[in-house]
Parts: sequence; C-alpha cells; structure tokens
Amino acid sequence: MFKRNLLAVAAATFMAGAAVPALAEVSIAYQGDFESLIAPGIAAYEAAGGEKVNAIKLPGGDNYSPRIALDLSAGTAADVIMVDSYIVAQFAGSGYLAPLDDVLASWDQGKYFMKGALDVVSYNGKVYALPTATDVRMLWYNKDAFAKAGLPLPWQPKTWADVIDAGKALNKAGVKDAFLLEAGTKWGEGTTMQGFYMTLLGADTPDGDRNRLRDRASGKWIGDSPAIRRTLQFYQDVYVNDKISSPAINYVADPFNDTNNAFLAGKIGIYASGSWANNCLWGCGNAKQPTQAEKDKLVGWTQWPGSGQPGAKATTDISGGWTVALNAKAANNPEAVKLLKAIFNADNLGKWTVSSASLTVRTDIADSAAYKADPYMSSITPLVADTTGRDTVPGYDKVSALVQDMTTGILDGKSVDDVVKAYNDALVDEFGADNVVTLK
Amino acid sequence: MNNQIGPWLAAARGPMLVAMLPAAVCILATLYLAGWAVVFSFTNLELTGARSINWAWVGFDNYVRLFTREGFLNSLWVTSVFTLFSAIIGQTIFGFGLAVALRGNRSVLRNIVEVSIMLGWLLPDIVAAFMWSNTTSATGLINNAVLAPLGLQPINFIDQYALPVVIVANIWKGTAWSYLLFSAALDSVSREIIEAARMDGATPFQGIRMIVLPMVRAHLVTNLLLVTIWTFGYFALIFALTGGGPGRRTEVLSILMVHQSFEVGKLGYGSAIAIAMMLIVGLLALAYLRQLKEPK
Repeated sequence: MFKRNLLAVAAATFMAGAAVPALAEVSIAYQGDFESLIAPGIAAYEAAGGEKVNAIKLPGGDNYSPRIALDLSAGTAADVIMVDSYIVAQFAGSGYLAPLDDVLASWDQGKYFMKGALDVVSYNGKVYALPTATDVRMLWYNKDAFAKAGLPLPWQPKTWADVIDAGKALNKAGVKDAFLLEAGTKWGEGTTMQGFYMTLLGADTPDGDRNRLRDRASGKWIGDSPAIRRTLQFYQDVYVNDKISSPAINYVADPFNDTNNAFLAGKIGIYASGSWANNCLWGCGNAKQPTQAEKDKLVGWTQWPGSGQPGAKATTDISGGWTVALNAKAANNPEAVKLLKAIFNADNLGKWTVSSASLTVRTDIADSAAYKADPYMSSITPLVADTTGRDTVPGYDKVSALVQDMTTGILDGKSVDDVVKAYNDALVDEFGADNVVTLK
Repeated sequence: MNNQIGPWLAAARGPMLVAMLPAAVCILATLYLAGWAVVFSFTNLELTGARSINWAWVGFDNYVRLFTREGFLNSLWVTSVFTLFSAIIGQTIFGFGLAVALRGNRSVLRNIVEVSIMLGWLLPDIVAAFMWSNTTSATGLINNAVLAPLGLQPINFIDQYALPVVIVANIWKGTAWSYLLFSAALDSVSREIIEAARMDGATPFQGIRMIVLPMVRAHLVTNLLLVTIWTFGYFALIFALTGGGPGRRTEVLSILMVHQSFEVGKLGYGSAIAIAMMLIVGLLALAYLRQLKEPK
C-alpha cells in the first residue's frame, strides 16, 4: 500500500489525467511508431470475435518508457503493453509482467522465436515479453551534403578521426551541424544506445568487457574505464573541442521528427541512427514512402567505425528492439493472450516486418519469400553477424539514465574527469560500492 | 480578543459548515499528498526494480545528496535566475508598464495590445513551446525574417542564449496576468488624486512613484507572490522547449525533479527535491505575505 499510494499520486500528477482506465474487456498501450503492426493486429482480433479493445496509442519518443513504468507501478497499466526490450528484465523483476512460457509452449507459432531474442526478454529463466523484431545501428549520411563538401561517396570512415574530419569538411561546406551524435536526456534511451554505446564498443578492446558498461563475468557495473573516458572525449570533440555540431541539436522541440527533417534537408550531414531509419526517416509506417531507389539517391549508411585504438573493433554494432508484454494483472485474462497472439500472427507480423525494415527474430518470417526478396533487408542482414545486446539486467535503465547525464555534463562544458566522477558516485549510490568496478 | 461571532453567522452555522467542506477536502488532500512526499524523501524508494519492492529508510541521505551530487545547486541557480528575470522583473514590470501606458486609452491600439498579450496567456504551453522553438531556431522566424535580410549570419538562439530565450518566452506567456491585475488596481486609483498631484507640480514619473505605487502596493505584492509561486515550479514550457538543455543550462528544479523521479526512477531523491522546492517557495511566500500587512 505504502508504495502504491505514492506511485498512484505520482502517476496522476505526472500524467495529468492522461491515464485512461481500462474500460473494455481488454486494453493495450503501445507506441505510435508501431501503429502499422498493432492496429491490424487489433482489427484481426476483433474480427475473430474478440472483445472490444481499448487501444491506448501513445506518442513515441523519450517519454514513452517513463509513462509505462509509472502506469505499471501505479497499477493502472493496460493489459497488453508495448515495452522497449531494455526495460523488460527490470519490469519483470518488479513483478509487473506475466511470464509467457506457457503461452509460447501452447502456441503453434511459439517455436519460431529465435533463442537469442528470447534471452533478451528473459528474467530468471522465464520469458516475459514477445520480441517484435530487432535492429542494427549505423551512421546514416546525406549524400547531397557529402557531395557539396567534396567527400567521397560511398563514405567509408575507418576511425573516429575520419568521422571528425568529415564533420569539419561538412562544416566548411556550410553544414553547421555536421554530426548528430545523440546526447542529453531528450533522446532517452537513444542517447545511450545510438550514441554512447555505439561509440563505447569501439573505444577499447572487447576483451574482458573493457568496451562495455557492465563487466558481465563479475556482474558489476563499470564506473570508470579507459573506454568510457575515450567515449566522452569523442563527445567532447564533436560538441566542444572541434564543434562540428552544436549541442542544441539534441534539444529541439520534437527531437525525432525535427531531426529527420533536418537530415533529409541536408542541414545535418551524419546521423547516428539504425536500421529503422530506412523507414522512419519518412515517418515510421507511413504508407507514402519514397521508393528504395529514391531513398538511396538521397541518403546512404555506413558501419560505425571503431576508435582506431590498438585492439579495438574495426566496426561496432549493438541491437535492441521493441516487445509486447502481458501485465501481471492480466495473466489470467484469456482475451489479452488472444490479442497478443493476433498481433504476433505470422501474417500480421510478417507484413509489418518487411514494410518497416525490421530485422526479424522469427525463423518462419526469415524464411519467407517477401523477407528474402527485400533488397534493403539483404543489405543489412550481414551486420547481424557481429552485433551485441545491451546489459538487459535489472538496473540497466538506471545506468542508461546516468549515461545520458554524463553526456549532458559534456555538453555543459564539464571535464571528462568531473563527469566520470559524478557517474561513478551515482552508480555507487544506486548499487553499492561492491557492485561497481573501475577498469584501469 | 473578540470571540463573539455575529448573530447572523451563528444562525447559519449549518450551511457554513457545509460551505467549508470543499476547503477542508482541499486542505486534507494537500496535507496527504505533501505528507507522502515528505515520507518518501527519507527512503530510497524507486519507480521500478528491487527498490520499488524492498525500499529502506535512508535518513537524510537524499537531502545530503542535494548538496553533494551535481544537479540540485545548478538547478537552484537556474530556477532563481529564471524566476527573477521572467516573473519578478519581466512579467511584473511589463505588466505594470503596459497597464500604466494603456490606462484610459480607448484606441484600437489598446485592443490590439490586449489581444496579443492575452493570446500568449491563453495558448497551451506545449503550443507556445513549439512556436518559440520555430521562432528562435537557426532556420526560424527571427533568422529568416530579420537577420538574413540584413545580411547577418543566422544565430541559433537556443544554442547560444537558451536561458534568455526561455525567460523571454515566459515573460511573453505570463505578462497578461500582471497586466490584468494592475489594470484593475489602477482603475481603483481615482483620477482626481493624480490630477491633484500634477497640479502640485509632480512629474508623471513622480506621480507613479509617490502616488500610484503606494496605492496599488497590495496588488503589487499579491502579484509578486502569485507569479513567483507559479514560475518557481514552472515545467511545461521549458520542458517542451529545451528539455532542460543544452547541457543543463535551462534545467530548472521542476525538470530536475521529473528527471530524477521518473527517468532515473529515484522517487526518494525526487521527493527530496520536491520538498526543498516547497520550502523555498514557502519562505518566499511568507516574505511576501509580511509585506502585505499595512505598514504601521
């Protein structure tokens, strides 16, 4: 009661009445970027004789996950909930989600989910969400801007220095914000993953998890390491020392849409983004997409280069993805399970996977003709061979928020030393000194 | 002391008690909610994860961290600058100045001015934020309509002048309130007194300083009290416009509180920030209320 009361109050004040109570037999909360997956799933469920669905469509962007966390902790969340995969373990550990092993075992399509993808959404050996797809990350670049700056196409940077040099050339050609490297809190998890982690993975040798946020062998968070310092140094070069971009690009009123527009207009030269960009640059799920040839004429992508330090990886990648989970309170609601299955039905999920340029985590969809025939999917599939996942254990969402605070500090003009110290202190506050390690 | 109540009030005791119910509900709700925040500020409760279930009492740790961890002191400074310049100086002086300038003016100009400042007040914060974002961005209205035609380099105002931009935006947004309050107050100052002062040789400035200001003193203090309270905890416009950035340059206390409570998920620490804010605003309000008392 103690906690619930405060959380209910917090939810009520923070969301200012936006929380819609579940009036129908089954409710679903989802992120608007996934409309083209969820809406037809709901329609199929209703057409098959299901209950009326109370669909709560929320805007995408950095406020989605805090909103869901509040709803869950206040006990007002929907029956079926879309959840970013990084926070599934945390929610499961809080007792907010229902395990789905029985659902998978009793469903003829359960066997198609790839094991690695289910590991990401597992906690204490149980599966707590169904993954829609996964993704890979890369540097997108505007070809017009690159041509104007006299840079070679296709662009193939080998080190961080190459990226900075390209940025300087873009600056000279009038592209003031040469490189959008996500920083600060307005991108939410985007800063941690598209920006910080992609840089971090190439900052040092992968041996002993020296290029990660967590030492997975000992289960300790890394509070200070050469890789973290080099990554912050790179942020400092981009925004403070070489100033190839202005910090303000991370604080526009509508980060995702404003950035897409600025990038397509050539006002941003390089955009640290992911495989979804092939679709989402023109509006995720937007039916009026340009053809692939038109897209290829305008933008291209290259793999994120490593730092160039001895032993560091030549290219880096990290994968995430969104999932759909079942509220623990709806564990015994058969309608919620039916809705979940309707959304993940091979036909519905398969269509969305191809149209949204998502990397499937199901063997049946991977083997489908439509998926195999898509040229963009074929071009990004090789990246899957050398990717990794986030440290999706409970606590990662806290660490991620603190990582965002580190980048905020750099944009604020603080030194790498100060920023790392603040990060380390906050980690110790959170997890205790025994669970935080410094790598020399 | 006079403990007698009027016979009319005594007869109406029943209805009076009923009429007090809404006030009682409001007061109880406030105490209840603030009480939870106080309690939680002494715990390490979190939004999700292990500490959302197994929280513990941590004494004054959260309050100590207000001063030993970065964030709070910076935000306190930013909030103070924001409140001083946008509310106490900006809205109050602009509102008073406009009220004085337009007093007795029945022209179309007055209508135009009133409609424009009222629009700012009535516009939802989020809409206003997008408007100001579009006005001050590198490709925004000011650059395209003013600086570019003059042959000047475009300026990204949010990048270089983030705090001034949100201050100006808030002055624009809130001046209407001060203007309305002062207009009403000035209407209560009779024309004869001002005429008399002028006959005695007072300049217009002296007339305002020595006659008008003392007469509207209570309104002035009430206005300062209200705009200070509103501005000190103001959230939506700044959050939508800059999200607290670039860096932490516009990270006012309310944004820090939301960030720590709901993005980092430390409800205990966020509650401590909220309580600190409440204490500061409470002290400011007390100071203002003392000013409301008539000088002896």
